Amino acid sequence: MTAKPTSYRLRRSLFILGFILPTFILFSVITAYPMLRGLYISLFKWSGYSGNMTFIGLDNYKRMLKDDIIGTAIFNDYFLVFWKVVFILAIATFLAVALTRMSIKRTGVFRVILFFPNLISVVVIGVLWRYIYNPSDIGFLNAFLSLFTSEAVTTVWLGQTNTAMWSILAPAVWAGIGFYMILLMAAIMNIPESLYEAAGIDGASRWHQFKHITIPLIWEQMKVSIIHIVITTLNGSFIIIFLMTEGGPDNSTQVMGSYLYQIGFQQYHMGYASAIGVLILTLTLITSLILNRLLKRETIEM
Amino acid sequence: MNTWKNKSILIALILTLAFSMLAACSGANKEKPAPSSTNQGSSNGGNDSGKSEGLTGDFEIQYFVGGYGDTWWKHVIGEFQKQNPNLNIKQTAGSQINDQMRPRWIQGNPPDFVYIDGAGSNEAQMVTDEQLLDLTDFLKGATNGDGEKILDIAIAGPTDYSGKNFTLPLVFGSWGTFYDKAWFKQQGWDTPTDFESFMAVSEKIKASGVSPYIHTGVYPYYINGGLVNSAIVAANGGDTSIISRMASLEEGIFKSEPVMKALNRIVQVRDAGFVDPGAIALNHTDSQMAFLQHKAAFIPNGLWLENEMSKDVPEGFEFDFIPSVMQDKGEKYVAIPYTASVAIAAKAKNQEAAKAFLEFIFTKQFAVDWAEMTGAIMNVKADLENSTAGPVVKTAMNYFNSDNLVVAPALIVNADVETALQDSIIALLDKRITPEEWGDRLEKAAAAAR
Repeated sequence: MTAKPTSYRLRRSLFILGFILPTFILFSVITAYPMLRGLYISLFKWSGYSGNMTFIGLDNYKRMLKDDIIGTAIFNDYFLVFWKVVFILAIATFLAVALTRMSIKRTGVFRVILFFPNLISVVVIGVLWRYIYNPSDIGFLNAFLSLFTSEAVTTVWLGQTNTAMWSILAPAVWAGIGFYMILLMAAIMNIPESLYEAAGIDGASRWHQFKHITIPLIWEQMKVSIIHIVITTLNGSFIIIFLMTEGGPDNSTQVMGSYLYQIGFQQYHMGYASAIGVLILTLTLITSLILNRLLKRETIEM
Repeated sequence: MNTWKNKSILIALILTLAFSMLAACSGANKEKPAPSSTNQGSSNGGNDSGKSEGLTGDFEIQYFVGGYGDTWWKHVIGEFQKQNPNLNIKQTAGSQINDQMRPRWIQGNPPDFVYIDGAGSNEAQMVTDEQLLDLTDFLKGATNGDGEKILDIAIAGPTDYSGKNFTLPLVFGSWGTFYDKAWFKQQGWDTPTDFESFMAVSEKIKASGVSPYIHTGVYPYYINGGLVNSAIVAANGGDTSIISRMASLEEGIFKSEPVMKALNRIVQVRDAGFVDPGAIALNHTDSQMAFLQHKAAFIPNGLWLENEMSKDVPEGFEFDFIPSVMQDKGEKYVAIPYTASVAIAAKAKNQEAAKAFLEFIFTKQFAVDWAEMTGAIMNVKADLENSTAGPVVKTAMNYFNSDNLVVAPALIVNADVETALQDSIIALLDKRITPEEWGDRLEKAAAAAR
């Protein structure tokens, strides 16, 4: 009787370890190590090409405080975060409800069409939208607007400070909608039809059904969507910026990711670039923690 | 209690593992430069008499393969091998070679000879990082197999790094202003030869409803190379030393009188409304397409333009090239080159072979081969008339060989200052800053980089 529990516990531990260890090793090598390594490099003055690294303590972080472009970049990042969350969620929810709750024919076709931008490479999206914004008459947007005016419209969408960020926002929203729409549709289709029937019999209008049945029951998915949009935007808007403007003109559309790339790989300050990387990590963490708090609602289960 | 204990053990485990890895890896690439210097002597016994017997040992060449291909490299390396049958030549090449080789440069185990070109390479940064061998004295005496002094036959001399040379340009090209000769003839527009005629013809072009001047706003180095830098040399009375003084970040140079004069000329062009307003948002494809479609008359670009757009050129389009348009009447043209250089690693194990190879490739015959194999110009004054090189390249070569043109050194500056140069010219063209503020920005960037 005494031997049994130990061998049982040993086997149990081994069993658990067998699952944890491989994942843990992968996590350490692929996630934890690069992160800590970046943190470590951010304390050095290093070009990224040289064998010499000079320890400079927190100087890279002090430099960040004096760098005007960092301010612009943070502002632009949160500009994209805020408007992407608002537009993507509003449009995706509307479409999801329209395609599930309202009896529209051929929803499958719409689903495919609306999901399509997600299947196109971001590079193609960037090139396509650069054509849309082209200031000469090759540009679709200006050519289209010119139909309604007596004089040809020649707005330089990506070249003016007051339009550039909005112009970048549009393809980012357009490319994001499909995925979240599918996510929310799946959630809505999980809601039992009987709830709506009961509400209908009680005289609830479609708006009330949406507000009091649909929204509470898909809240978890909406929360996930919001946090996912925030994190991917803070980490990933680099790509769309680089394809559309490269952070220009005169750094006015720089986001933290694109500025990190420019500093690290075009201006050869890998230490400072790592410090910017740490800033992105910190801001992403703080933002998602705050959001988690703000979005806390009682989970309603069916 | 139990779960707490488990958790803390797990956290401790994670931390120790992570930190041990951190320590191991950071320790690995700290100090390991020693072995390179010890091998040096073994490569070659007879230093001076080596030529007749050929070189021995290992010799590694790193070259980037991009738009120019690798045909020429294989060709010259083959010839070099024939001359030195006992030398074990290793070619390290490819389109991603700069990234692939970076760990070896960082660890202090670089190849012997390097051709610096392509994404992820930066000559000035390599000099700053002390990766390259000081070639100042070697280049002064270097002669090729035909007995010619290399510095005499080179179009552009080596880049000056506060009195020292570490590199020698291999590829030579020039920035300039391009236009469609046939279209100009048809419209009755004159080819500009100086600033005055440039302004006059631009006025005419504008009156006919065409944008006189388009450029690549997303990559402002095009207009810096094709317009601004030649304006600076012209404003300095054709004295090219100002480019070297800018490259060495001399204090006050960016606010000096010639620079301000040049920028005021740019402002004149800007305020006359000759610069296409949409150009600020265009990348090279956009601006070159607009140029090919006759939406604009002039475009600043490099000599590769004709080759790059060869598939999209409309019928009857006739490329022509003017080295510079910002000089006063009667002054010489200014050529602002772009170059890609070769160099020898400071920690090269076989410096002897690397130096011999450098001397070996700078001949007129190899320069003609280069022009035919790549469609570009090698940094050697060679006669291309009878070669199969393209017409724009030949026109350009005629300019370079003429007395009516000065060739400035390529402007290779610290990457931070380069960024400032690019950002500031866009801000100036967009009327966000004045020439004085341009000077302030550049002086600030230069002071930080000094």
